[in-house]
Amino acid sequence: MTTFRKLLMTTCVAAGALASACMATTSSASADDAKKFKIFLSLSYSGNSWQSEAANIVKALAQTPPYDKEVELKEVISGTDPQAQIAAYESMIDAKADGVISFPISSTALNRTVKKGCEKGVLFFMYDATVTEPCAYNVSYITAGFGENTAQALVNALNGKGKIFLSRGVPGNSVDKRHTDGAMHIFKEYPGIQVVAEYYAFWDDRTTQQETAKALAAHPDVDGIWAQAGEFGAIQALRDKGTRLVPMTGENSNGFRLALADPEAQKNGLKGVSAGSPPATAGYAFKLMMEILTKKRDLKAMNIQYPLPWVPADKVTLCKGDTFEDGCNTFPDGKVPSSFVTEVFSPEFLPELSLKSALDGAPTPGKTIQPLPAEVVKAPNEPGINCQKCDPPADLYKLTKIEPTVKP
Amino acid sequence: MTSVRPSAALQPPADTRRIGRIRSETISTAAIFALTIILILASRFVSPALGSWDQVDTIITLASFLIVVAFGQGLVILVGGLDLSIASMITLGGVLATTWNGSLGSEWVVIPAVLILCAGIGALNAVGVIWLNIPPFIMTMASGIVVASAALGYTSGTPRGASPDAFLALMKGSVGPVSAVLIFVVIFVLLACALQSATAFGRRLYAVGANREAARIAGVATWRPIMAAYAISAVCAGFAGMMLVGYANGATLRMGDSYLLPSVASVVIGGSSILGGRGSFAGTVGGAILLTTLGTVISALGMDQGWRTVIEGAIIVGALLLLREDLIARLRNRSAG
Repeated sequence: MTTFRKLLMTTCVAAGALASACMATTSSASADDAKKFKIFLSLSYSGNSWQSEAANIVKALAQTPPYDKEVELKEVISGTDPQAQIAAYESMIDAKADGVISFPISSTALNRTVKKGCEKGVLFFMYDATVTEPCAYNVSYITAGFGENTAQALVNALNGKGKIFLSRGVPGNSVDKRHTDGAMHIFKEYPGIQVVAEYYAFWDDRTTQQETAKALAAHPDVDGIWAQAGEFGAIQALRDKGTRLVPMTGENSNGFRLALADPEAQKNGLKGVSAGSPPATAGYAFKLMMEILTKKRDLKAMNIQYPLPWVPADKVTLCKGDTFEDGCNTFPDGKVPSSFVTEVFSPEFLPELSLKSALDGAPTPGKTIQPLPAEVVKAPNEPGINCQKCDPPADLYKLTKIEPTVKP
Repeated sequence: MTSVRPSAALQPPADTRRIGRIRSETISTAAIFALTIILILASRFVSPALGSWDQVDTIITLASFLIVVAFGQGLVILVGGLDLSIASMITLGGVLATTWNGSLGSEWVVIPAVLILCAGIGALNAVGVIWLNIPPFIMTMASGIVVASAALGYTSGTPRGASPDAFLALMKGSVGPVSAVLIFVVIFVLLACALQSATAFGRRLYAVGANREAARIAGVATWRPIMAAYAISAVCAGFAGMMLVGYANGATLRMGDSYLLPSVASVVIGGSSILGGRGSFAGTVGGAILLTTLGTVISALGMDQGWRTVIEGAIIVGALLLLREDLIARLRNRSAG
């Protein structure tokens, strides 16, 4: 009995060993195949809706099949100093990253480190903000003409004359400068347009509200507001003063879009357009990077333009569900905070996402990653933004979204 | 004291130091308010719309957050500390007020709950400062980082929910022609001045701040006023966060950042010593209103941001120099002599 048992056990063990040996070879082969790509998500700062939505989108995509088996994603938030982000990049390169997807805090300060990483085979994908180092991929809407198009929309709404405020972003930032340069290019064509106040509101609703309140104390007779992100604060500042609203342009906050579509607000004088920076860019950049890493796409480092969202008041459509379906682009009041940046979705690029992805970084159950359209749009050169020693195109500030309806 | 005085001939000169100090404090407080009024009137040259009641209303509304925060900061500075955690506490107050509002029950539960939590964190600051001998600067910076990160984690980056109705009413409402926040500021300032200058608790704060050892020997349990100062500071910051939420009807994670340095500046411009033991809340209120007025007037100047900030900084330095106590004392002596 015991001998039999022993024999049986030996056989079993031998068979098991053999089997496991076979398994080991196959599994080591498949482990090689299924080796997870080590990808770092590098944020400079977090704490505003835009930044966290962009990061949440990337996190949600990384957990959506089949990426959940292919990607090991680590998030690093380094703060608003370029030095801190340089240090973060350095340690990602040392950790043998396959790719870094990042919101860069400076368009020039990170260049040396990015170059060093490229030489070691790390893919650098920058979303929204850009770097001028040519070995990095920049994916951004910046070159799509937010400043000049919104400025023309405001000029049209004001019939070419009136006192306006410029509510700007962060002083010294290349994105703020590009937007404002584009806008001023248009405003200067119209002598009737008078910029009576210009303030930095740091792309923040609350700062915009307070700075607009200050400007309103000096110029209660303002006729229009040209705003970068934070625009909902400007509406709140106007409402604090009474019922009168003025034509204004701004970015993609849900509160602004709801106000644009509100008949009451329209009756009180609000008209304009919602355009600007879409957090969806981060998801698009991440999927591009993954397609390159998984050899589904062959693409050299380049500047890629993300389309500029453009939603005039009559195009605001409320979403019934948790994503952009049937051409909707705004969520009903109460579903998301008013500072929520609506452009987190793109039926074309990111059909895998829903509201939960943007708010919590969670994947949408039942969805799998869909391939991106084959074509990418090359961005025009813009010195100091996406290239260093380069010339901008002659038609840099060409209008693409709107026609002038008033003559200068 | 009078009964043990040996004789009239040996009577020492009356101790007028305190009176002198009070008078110079009153003068510097008056001076700072005068400067503010001059600034408001002079701002008519910048824009004819300025200098109106409307502008005053805007200034008081914008200054109200700073006044509340600076009261707490002023108490901590008075006891010889410094509170760097207030930016995070403002954010915490705002974030909790919006996310808990509705989900945790009525706002009359939520608001006290948030304030009690803030007080607890302030007390923890004090524990580190008093018993662990951590410099206030480091202790409050560290707790500020922890609180800010906790708020980031708790909201996963997007604070949700709306302001409690009470704070909407406070920031947007009005009683007859007067806005509610103006009435609130007047009541708050009166109560706070009374607490700081007319109660035994206030006296102990000054005693501890001027000389902690002397206060201890005199029988003051020195940890109590210090802990109270930190707790009040955290509560004020949390309350200001809720006011901001009422003002903008929503919270953001960086909403407190722009109040940290102005809160210290208001206290110092208002004539308090940064080293503690000296100062009045009336002066701090003047400092807060002056800073806000300056911001309003300067933003109406049609200049580049760089120059605007240069002018703002220069005026602050100028005000500090002008309001220096010894300068005022010297001027008074000269006019007296």
